[in-house]
Amino acid sequence: MAQNTFYLFARREWQLLFRNTSALVQPLCFFIIIALMFPLSLPAENELLTRIGGGVIWVSAVLATLLGLESMFRSDYHDGALEQWLISPRSLPLAMLGKVFAHWSCTGLLLALFAPLLCMTFRIPPDQIWVLFLGLMLGTPSLSLIGAIGAALTVTLHRGGVLLAIIILPLFIPILIFGAGMVTQQAIGGSTASQLYALAAILVLALTLSPFAIAAALRTTIN
Amino acid sequence: MSQTNDTPAMLAINNLECSRGDRTLFRQLSYSINAGQCLHIVGANGSGKTTLLRSVAGLVYSPKGKIQWQGENIQSNPSYQSTMIYLGHSEGLKNELTSVENLEFYSCLDGHSDQSHVDGDLAQMGILECADLTANKLSFGQRRRLAFARLLHSKAKLWILDEPFTGIDDAGRALIETICVEHLDAQGMILLTNHRTLSQSRLAPSLAVLDLMDFQSSLDHS
Repeated sequence: MAQNTFYLFARREWQLLFRNTSALVQPLCFFIIIALMFPLSLPAENELLTRIGGGVIWVSAVLATLLGLESMFRSDYHDGALEQWLISPRSLPLAMLGKVFAHWSCTGLLLALFAPLLCMTFRIPPDQIWVLFLGLMLGTPSLSLIGAIGAALTVTLHRGGVLLAIIILPLFIPILIFGAGMVTQQAIGGSTASQLYALAAILVLALTLSPFAIAAALRTTIN
Repeated sequence: MSQTNDTPAMLAINNLECSRGDRTLFRQLSYSINAGQCLHIVGANGSGKTTLLRSVAGLVYSPKGKIQWQGENIQSNPSYQSTMIYLGHSEGLKNELTSVENLEFYSCLDGHSDQSHVDGDLAQMGILECADLTANKLSFGQRRRLAFARLLHSKAKLWILDEPFTGIDDAGRALIETICVEHLDAQGMILLTNHRTLSQSRLAPSLAVLDLMDFQSSLDHS
């Protein structure tokens, strides 16, 4: 049996990302720089930074994900690879799920792993760091999956970056609310379960539906 | 393998009309191709050659007219995509990957489980010395040769080639003609565009010519 479609596309994406390290490093650097600007620009009150830290890190993660999304299908469109996937006998939704998974593991996953370090500059207590990390681990895959739909829709546009942000950022808001809300709840000692379930539900929805939406968006844009 | 006359043509185009933006490129185009035939599509720049090839490949959908493979519409025929290969102007090669990795990916995509033929294919295309070079270090002609290496072990019956001889030297041209002739001998089909006539080429015996200009004349009067 020929190689599994999911693994074939995920492996190819990893190969490409590790050869082109700027795509790997850029979102991460962007994430760290944005988050670090807040402690530098705000009044030096420890309590203030601790209170807003979770939200700031979430906003930075959303913006850094957006930065990585723009190039997701761009080069595949320009060199003709995208056309070949569309007419291949392989399942396009499964292929795209593999591609997005590899993409997330090099952006969202990295951001989530670096977030605890950033928390130190905000003096966020350890119990909230743990909650923030968990939220990012659940939320960033949804960001990548939903964002990929927008990337697929704007791939043929010459300057699609701004349009992509306008289409996609409103869809990121629920994830942002639940993710940042989880940290706030933990800070005031409340239960974080409802936000956690909401993030998990969004992830399940994104995992099951967005591969089909990405495939349909690619088929309509490449015509 | 003998073919009886009453089986439906392998690939049949019925009353196809294609447009690009507001402009109708051609209309009422009907043609059918059988196993072992090579169809050379000719026409001026902008007459719709590439659009026709992309329609047959299933990349462009035209609501007017039908394209059928073995009597079934290509959109509703899931097996069609595994019997067809399309090589367009852009080769679909990744600059970051080496020749071997690029070819292996397409070989996997085409459903081959065994990748041991890849080196041999590169050698046959005369680019074995580029096997471990990344694609951005290849010349234009070498990239074309790499793209065509995919045809060597393809199981596809229908090859759709857009300007296959562009950017290729005489030796490469002879090589591609040989591959095409072997494919036609094995009851394959080829649909191609080329700006120069192919009547002197080795494809000539099984060649049919379709001039898109013939399907444009009706546009002027309407």
